[in-house]
Amino acid sequence: MTPVHLAALAAPQLLLAGASLVLLVVGAFRPKAIRLVAGLGVLSLLAAVGVVAIEPLGRAFGGDLVADQGAAFAEAVIYLASAAAILLGQPWFARRGQARFEFPILILIAALGMGMMCRAADLISLFVAIELQSLSLYILAAFEKSDGKSAEAGLKYFVLGALSTGIMLYGVSLIYGFAGGTSFARIAAAVAHGASGGVLFGLVFLICGLAFKVSAAPFHMWTPDVYEGAPTPVVGFFAGAPKLAAMVLLARVLTESFGPALAQWRQILVVMAILSVAVGALAGLRQSNLKRLWAYSSIASIGYALIGLAAGGPEGVQAMLVYMTLYVVDVTGFFACLAALAREGRPLESFADVSGLVRQRPGLAVAMTVFALSGLGLPPFSGLWGKFYVFKAAISAGLAPAAVAALIGSVVAAYYYLRLVKVMWLDAPEGQIDAPPAEAAGLAYAAAFFVFPVVLIALMALDPAARAAALALVQG
Amino acid sequence: MTIGLDHYLAVAAILFTIGVFGIFVNRRNVIVILMSIELILLAVNINLVAFSTFLHDVVGQIFALFVLTVAAAEAAVGLAILVTFFRWRGDIAVDDASMMKG
Amino acid sequence: MSPQLAVTLIVFAPLAGALVAGLFGRLIGHRVAQIVTTGLLFVACALAWVTFRQVFGGAWPHAFTVTLAPFIHVGRFVSDWSIRIDSLSAVMLVVVTSVSALVHLYSWGYMRTDPHRARFFAYLSLFTFAMLALVTAADFMQLFFGWEGVGLASYLLIGFWYEKPTANAAAIKAFVVNRVGDAGFALGIMTVFWAFGSIRFADVFPLVASHADLAWRFGSAQFRLMDLACVLLFIGAMGKSAQFLLHTWLPDAMEGPTPVSALIHAATMVTAGVYMVCLLSPMFEAAPVAKGVVTVVGAITCLFAATIGLAQNDIKRVIAYSTCSQLGYMFFAAGIGAYPAAMFHLFTHAFFKALLFLGAGSVIEAMHHEQDMRHMGALWNKTPITYVVMLLGTLAITGVGIPGLDLGFAGFYSKDAIINAAYVASATQGTAMFAFICGVVAAGLTSFYSWRLIFMTFHGHAKWGAHEAHGHDAHADHGAHGHGAHTPHESPWVMILPLILLSVGAVFAGGVFDESFVGGDRAGFWGSALSATTSGTLLDQIHHLPQWVVLAPLAVTAVGFFAAWYYYIAREGLAARIAARRGLLWAFLYNKWYFDELYDAVFVRGAKALGDLFWKGGDKKLIDGLGPDGVSEVSYAVGRGVSRVQTGYVYHYAFVMLLGVAGLVSYALWAFR
Repeated sequence: MTPVHLAALAAPQLLLAGASLVLLVVGAFRPKAIRLVAGLGVLSLLAAVGVVAIEPLGRAFGGDLVADQGAAFAEAVIYLASAAAILLGQPWFARRGQARFEFPILILIAALGMGMMCRAADLISLFVAIELQSLSLYILAAFEKSDGKSAEAGLKYFVLGALSTGIMLYGVSLIYGFAGGTSFARIAAAVAHGASGGVLFGLVFLICGLAFKVSAAPFHMWTPDVYEGAPTPVVGFFAGAPKLAAMVLLARVLTESFGPALAQWRQILVVMAILSVAVGALAGLRQSNLKRLWAYSSIASIGYALIGLAAGGPEGVQAMLVYMTLYVVDVTGFFACLAALAREGRPLESFADVSGLVRQRPGLAVAMTVFALSGLGLPPFSGLWGKFYVFKAAISAGLAPAAVAALIGSVVAAYYYLRLVKVMWLDAPEGQIDAPPAEAAGLAYAAAFFVFPVVLIALMALDPAARAAALALVQG
Repeated sequence: MTIGLDHYLAVAAILFTIGVFGIFVNRRNVIVILMSIELILLAVNINLVAFSTFLHDVVGQIFALFVLTVAAAEAAVGLAILVTFFRWRGDIAVDDASMMKG
Repeated sequence: MSPQLAVTLIVFAPLAGALVAGLFGRLIGHRVAQIVTTGLLFVACALAWVTFRQVFGGAWPHAFTVTLAPFIHVGRFVSDWSIRIDSLSAVMLVVVTSVSALVHLYSWGYMRTDPHRARFFAYLSLFTFAMLALVTAADFMQLFFGWEGVGLASYLLIGFWYEKPTANAAAIKAFVVNRVGDAGFALGIMTVFWAFGSIRFADVFPLVASHADLAWRFGSAQFRLMDLACVLLFIGAMGKSAQFLLHTWLPDAMEGPTPVSALIHAATMVTAGVYMVCLLSPMFEAAPVAKGVVTVVGAITCLFAATIGLAQNDIKRVIAYSTCSQLGYMFFAAGIGAYPAAMFHLFTHAFFKALLFLGAGSVIEAMHHEQDMRHMGALWNKTPITYVVMLLGTLAITGVGIPGLDLGFAGFYSKDAIINAAYVASATQGTAMFAFICGVVAAGLTSFYSWRLIFMTFHGHAKWGAHEAHGHDAHADHGAHGHGAHTPHESPWVMILPLILLSVGAVFAGGVFDESFVGGDRAGFWGSALSATTSGTLLDQIHHLPQWVVLAPLAVTAVGFFAAWYYYIAREGLAARIAARRGLLWAFLYNKWYFDELYDAVFVRGAKALGDLFWKGGDKKLIDGLGPDGVSEVSYAVGRGVSRVQTGYVYHYAFVMLLGVAGLVSYALWAFR
């Protein structure tokens, strides 16, 4: 394998790594050129999407890094979401006098880490990728220096994230020891004829560590606090791309290296999924802060994605991918709405803040309504289709009881989604809302437009792409 | 008595447990939490190296080096966040980091 | 114009009018809405007469079906939107479109001050469309569609003055009582589908002979399917045609505007039941029990409604009970098998009853919305045209004519045909004798209450001079009539013109069509649209009857007339004194045999008590308590618990995570053994 070929197989990563290093240097020498750095960051992310689309498929670095449709599909979504985060975040910080050139670079590095997570086929690359992403996210959470909540969010995220990394690493070390290697192929070979207790023990730890990254219950505790404290555009980023990356990584680990142990890990996933849906639905009932509420909403959403994954096989993984993709658009759009809304510079974050929104900002109110109803899974919005895929996979895999439990969770969660709609449409407004910044409103409208009606057309392309990606992930 | 793999694993498990307990039993100082995390990573490294020797496979030791490196980066990021937090609160007691809840 | 296009236009022109006036009424204004709906209705009416002429003239096929679009195709259950034209529906097309067009025109005058005229005309046209869909149905499904469509339009129109609580109550009552009938109707359709595997008339009728003896076993009892289906379908007809037991909604429906009463609750919708029985005559011929039920119910209604009509004081209610009674005639005619006679009476009745209602509307208008006949009197020279047409209508309904010359008003031909047919049938059917007696007695009562109406309204002393009370049929504004005093006045020409046209029908409809409907030409006229099994012999023999049978109706009519004359003209005030004594019989009749009270006690209060039981005990305590309320309560409490765990302390979070790890590991160790 020639160096050129190797480089081609890792092209998006090399591109992003190079771009972040170059931009770091640019920023170091021209600290004021923040817009330039941000613009170049967005461009390199878009370029990465292009590279993902055309790069060759194969395995590089002794199989540690895989370039397949699964990775390509997820990476395209992740890079687009990252680009959206820069577009949304840079002006947001600028409006608060907090603009710093590190922001786009941190997003780039996180995107690099997430891209690697999608491609990792070895425990070492898995670990490095996760850490690369996590460390960037810790910093991003604490990025708003003017706000004590942001620092607290960063601290909590860091402490608990480090703990989860420790737990995961402990599991990884056990898997390495009992399977006799770190590559997924090696593990698969060891598990092929029945997994030993040590490996399964390690697998549970590994799943726990990854569950933290996707904020599945009972490893979700950090989510509400971090979402509430972290800057809004950053939360929009947190809630979307990293979870997709972690889910893809989880899917690859579980199906590629632990495929034969499906019966075992499926049960763990189902337990976590139902817990997540329950926690997300029930704890959300009493929230008054919208960012916090959407943290619970995202916990519930991850429950659905986990059910899809637990269904296993190409159908289950496809359901998970479709669900997560639609979810990323949904959640990005929602936080774009929140980022667009402020009253005399103070961001709107609670139910009381957005009451009667429709009378002042009808466009954004409609967009938020669309996202809420999509989260609820009401036809014809995108959330419904994601759930539809998940349920179909769950039922054909014999997980109908789990699907029903999740559905009950949805019914409970309907309360807070509809409450948001009710507050925005029926309650009386208070105080004038600032004119929304163009980029945030534009992003919100675009996402709302995707949620309905574009999704109906997009699904036609999304379905085969996700199926190809799922096949690639499952077959290794 | 010969020291075998089991002993290493037991030590690592004990270290891991101490580290984990250090995180949630300690309520005073965030620095202690950072130390506990280092302890957990240490346990992992012991595991990796022990397995590496047991399996006659060098990958485990390479992995340990990666862990060390990343742990250093993690500590740096953690301390930086801690500094930010300290600037804001003037204290690093764990109990202080509880503005957000519910 | 091809037959297919013509009939399609007839059916859809009213729908177009309804949509235009209903959706764009505010936009285009009342005047345009009126012109559009009425114009389209007149177009439909003209085309209907053309269809009538061409179908019976032989220029067009005698029976054809236009299939427009598929409706429901599920397995063997196939239903299409279609227009079925045969003798029966051609007659109905003429009746419906003619009366509807005239009522539209009449409403220009009657509703001229109503602020919601566009809506009114939209409803009228919508009703007409539904009625046309009903009469042109080629299968039970579309029949049901039309059935419910006219029910809906009737509901909307009865409650048209929605500010009036009585109108709302009447609308709801009409709807609810009709639901009872519709339940039977729907069950009947299901029975038909079950028995025949099809709901298309063209498929079902040929199979009747071979399926006639199919039975349905329920426990130890055996039901003949044909009887079962026909009785169930007839229950639907009882609801729609306000027959005995399900009649209570019709008098209350008079809360609606008078043109509505004329169109829906006299001429067209309420005759849908009769139409259905005639349409399904091949099935009823194979169902002797059902025929007996139809005869008895029809005969009872005919007599019972006439007795109530004797004691009512509201001019519209008198006519409403009269309608009920005349429908009874039609039903027992159909029940004994004289379907052509039933259809003939339906046809003539449409003209003279619409005339009476519209005439009553004109009187009410003249009296400034007074409906109580006790406050009228001596109107004949104030409203001469109305008086004349009402007189013609009364002569028609009482069936005045000369038997020997076979010359008379419309009702003379049709009603006598029915009564005579009943006498003929009594030779073979026990129930027919009962019907004959009821029919003759009711004819006398009809004469009494009809002349009583005329005398109280137009003759005697004027009782409206000092009286100012306004009746029920209140318009939104009273002051816009252009004159201050309460002198009765003749109605505008848009109201008079339809009256004159209808009176032409009331006078001549019988004589002109007698031969075709029930006379010697009937075989050619009806073709295969009506079953001729029984009616053939019945109608052949009505011209060979004992003299007393032929003269009996006329004699009782004369008795009724003189009785009315005696009580209300010769000794004016006698009747009022009788009423003032509140005798038992009078109270019984005045309170409509206490049916409303009975139903209120048994069904309304009973259902309410039952509902209360289920609502308070079952729903609120049990289902809500354990269900929605309980669940939301628990969810909320659990939610509070979950967010209380969310303390904000990192070590608690870490602890929960470790609990999770420990729990999952334990679970894994247990599950993976």
